[in-house]
Amino acid sequence: MVTDAVAAPNPTSTAAIRRPRRAPYLLLLPGMLWIALFFFIPLSQLVITSLQEGSLERGFELTWAWENYAALFTTYRAHFLRSMLFAGIATALALLIGYPLAYAIAFRTGRFKNLFLVLVLMPFLVPFLLRTLAWRIILADENVVVTTLQSVGILSPQGRLLATPVAVVAGLTYNLLPFMVLPIYVALEKLDRSMLEAAADLYGTPSVSFLRVTWPLSLPGVISGTLLTFIPAAGDYVEVELLGSPQSAMVGNVIESKFLNVIDYPAAASLSVGLMAVVVVFVVLYIRSFGTEELVT
Amino acid sequence: MRRSRFRWVLPAYLGGGLLYLFLPVILVIVFSFNDLRGRFNVRWQGFTTEHWLALFRFPAIPRALATSLAIAFLSSFVATVLGTLVALALVRYRFRGRAATNVSLFMPMATPEVVMGSSLLALFVALRVGTGFLTILVAHVLFNISYAVATVRARIIGFDRHLEEAAMDLYADEWQTFRRVTLPMIMPGVFGAFLLGFALSIDDFVISNFTSGSLQTFPLYVWGAARRGIPPQVNAWGTLIFVATVSLMLLFLWYQRRRKPA
Amino acid sequence: MTHAEPPAVELKGVTKRFGDFTAVKDLNLAVGENRFFALLGPSGCGKTTTLRMIGGFEEPSEGSIHLHGEDVTNTKPFKRPVNTVFQSYALFPHLSIFENVAFGLRRRRVEEAEVRRKVEAILDLVQLGARGNQKPRQLSGGQQQRVALARALVNHPRVLLLDEPLGALDLKLRKEMQIELKRIQQDVGITFIHVTHDQEEAMTMADTIAVMNQGRIERMGEPTEIYEDPRTGFVASFLGASNLMQARVVSSGRGELAVDGGTPIWIQPERLQSGASLVLIGVRPEKLHLSEPQVPAHPPNVLPGVVTDVSFTGVTTQYLIATDAVGELVVVVQNLGDRRFHRNDEVTVGWYPEHGFVVA
Repeated sequence: MVTDAVAAPNPTSTAAIRRPRRAPYLLLLPGMLWIALFFFIPLSQLVITSLQEGSLERGFELTWAWENYAALFTTYRAHFLRSMLFAGIATALALLIGYPLAYAIAFRTGRFKNLFLVLVLMPFLVPFLLRTLAWRIILADENVVVTTLQSVGILSPQGRLLATPVAVVAGLTYNLLPFMVLPIYVALEKLDRSMLEAAADLYGTPSVSFLRVTWPLSLPGVISGTLLTFIPAAGDYVEVELLGSPQSAMVGNVIESKFLNVIDYPAAASLSVGLMAVVVVFVVLYIRSFGTEELVT
Repeated sequence: MRRSRFRWVLPAYLGGGLLYLFLPVILVIVFSFNDLRGRFNVRWQGFTTEHWLALFRFPAIPRALATSLAIAFLSSFVATVLGTLVALALVRYRFRGRAATNVSLFMPMATPEVVMGSSLLALFVALRVGTGFLTILVAHVLFNISYAVATVRARIIGFDRHLEEAAMDLYADEWQTFRRVTLPMIMPGVFGAFLLGFALSIDDFVISNFTSGSLQTFPLYVWGAARRGIPPQVNAWGTLIFVATVSLMLLFLWYQRRRKPA
Repeated sequence: MTHAEPPAVELKGVTKRFGDFTAVKDLNLAVGENRFFALLGPSGCGKTTTLRMIGGFEEPSEGSIHLHGEDVTNTKPFKRPVNTVFQSYALFPHLSIFENVAFGLRRRRVEEAEVRRKVEAILDLVQLGARGNQKPRQLSGGQQQRVALARALVNHPRVLLLDEPLGALDLKLRKEMQIELKRIQQDVGITFIHVTHDQEEAMTMADTIAVMNQGRIERMGEPTEIYEDPRTGFVASFLGASNLMQARVVSSGRGELAVDGGTPIWIQPERLQSGASLVLIGVRPEKLHLSEPQVPAHPPNVLPGVVTDVSFTGVTTQYLIATDAVGELVVVVQNLGDRRFHRNDEVTVGWYPEHGFVVA
């Protein structure tokens, strides 16, 4: 029997040949190719289109028409600002409404946590348009909400909610709520309970321990939720169409009409690029603060 | 436990919140029974079941719904497959370009649908590809991939990577390991990704609006009808969709609980 | 002894780097057939990495690995004739116990009747015969561990790798399993390579122990040998406790040293090899004898001291003795009913020269 030994070092030991690791790249290929082809290339195409000039009859030609972008700051400035404003208010409202909801589910539902989570997400299985149309019913002139507000004096006797920015924001807030609630819930759920108990122990009052411990730790979820709410809101046009009026037109509305109705591709493209630029700014800021690993949940 | 006077606040808020969330749902369902006299289904005028009994009165609706279902099924399937592969790569391997991959996956989720839809349309126009079934399919797969990756990824991270090594230790090659160990373990995640994609696809409006051409999906029908007056049959069908997807989801959750690994 | 057969496991010049960090440095190792071999060391010393390289789950950055003479450095795990028992057991949760154990046999296309026979036999061996249809989560930790063992052994690997398999078990169960594993190894007659950070476990089970530190094997040999002659400070303190004393070499031929204050200390001359004039001597606490100052002591090496602490641990009593010559000494005395010392007692500490070892 061979006794164990520290074998004599072999001066001619061969270096192990590293097998090139192809596996991950093969796995990634189909999916990422799809994204490259149908997301990044179209976006570049969009930029190109935005620099074109022409019309449907004459055809479109790349003329490096940078002046298309000038229109963003003049003709459509109001739309951009309105988009930012509505999206901002809707996001803030979603945060105000959504955070306590997430908190309640994470901390106050005990064994039924998953049940309540499902309940909160369930309404959003009703088709988007139907949900938004339901708000038409809720905010209709002849129905309860408006009449009550009129009798209480908040609204004038001829006051409406529909076809006003209020309705648009209400619709946006409602439809985007799950995008705010879910990330916050996930962040809160990950918190270590014993940490919170320690906070209660040290700080005494619940409000202070919330401010100093819970809130800061849930911040990544809040930021994530804010991003996922604000961005779709900024680009949306459905709520405006269904609940608002032409006066409250947002950037999305203009893009839609210019792409599908008026067929002014360069203008629409330049607006899209402009909108996208705003989005990219926010995303970059986010990545700078939090890195990229947490992005895809 | 803090015994404060305000203990009832959060539960009450939760109840109120749920009410707020379900109100439109209830309205959609209720108004499918509305005895509609005008064109716009906005005011309650009386109860009737006639719309439910005449579900196929407007054949365009079930047709659009069938289109939606087909697209949802196909696009979700493709997206789930692609997404699972990507998720596997992300979790199990170290490779260069990780950050770029994460960002590329995130961008479609973060981009406003208007931009995605319009850019796809711009691409199709430039390539002189007619919009229709295929183009919608392509678009839906696109926005579903990222969600599929996120869902499957969570599931892969959750399970012991030594399991795959154990399988290889026990003479299973890469394919056998995947088939007999990895796939069964991540199946709930894969299934969840499929369901998620399905739900997102059925409901999608904006992107479909840009890429569908003349083909109608259910949301597109509703959009078109919104100006003329939406027949309550739409509410009825919408309710059916709701009930079906909820049931699927509950079924899936129940299935997942039973298969929970130790 | 002629090396007619190649060793069961051989590592030649194996190095493993993870980015900037080198986990294993130029490791050379040969393990014979039918040995219970332990890789012992603290966390991060590279023992698990080494095991994983033998199993095929990590590729060496440099060097080669041989199993029974065959170079398997580039061979995938499923082609190597080794099996592993993982620390977390890694039982397939979605398969029954029977299917778990049968997994390897099925992959090698053993026919059904044979599979059934072998699986049932081994489940009986580990006393889990009745549980074939249950799922892993229905079993206790100790039972899962036995399934993991059965799953590996049923394939008759030529080498079995164990990655801290007893870590999750409670003390009593762990001790039982230590004896059990040793017995199985001897019955089955294959080479076990066992990774652990528990020195007692290694000493109980292994025929040979390799103590690893920071990617290198510092000392390898039979348990008694390396316990009594650790040769380095690290091994001396990792494997049991030791008292370390600085001494000046007076005569290396006679093995005579002197500690602070001039008192002579004797040691086996063969152990003084380095030729240095100052050495560090180690003596195990249980090798030190305590006696009253006036009583003539038998051991040639004696030092006076004062008891500063007494700890009764049931089987033994542990004393802390303060000496002028070499500082604080730990003495462990078996409780045989003899006289016990108290704090502030003056004592003489003594030991035999063969119990002193030189620490590098």
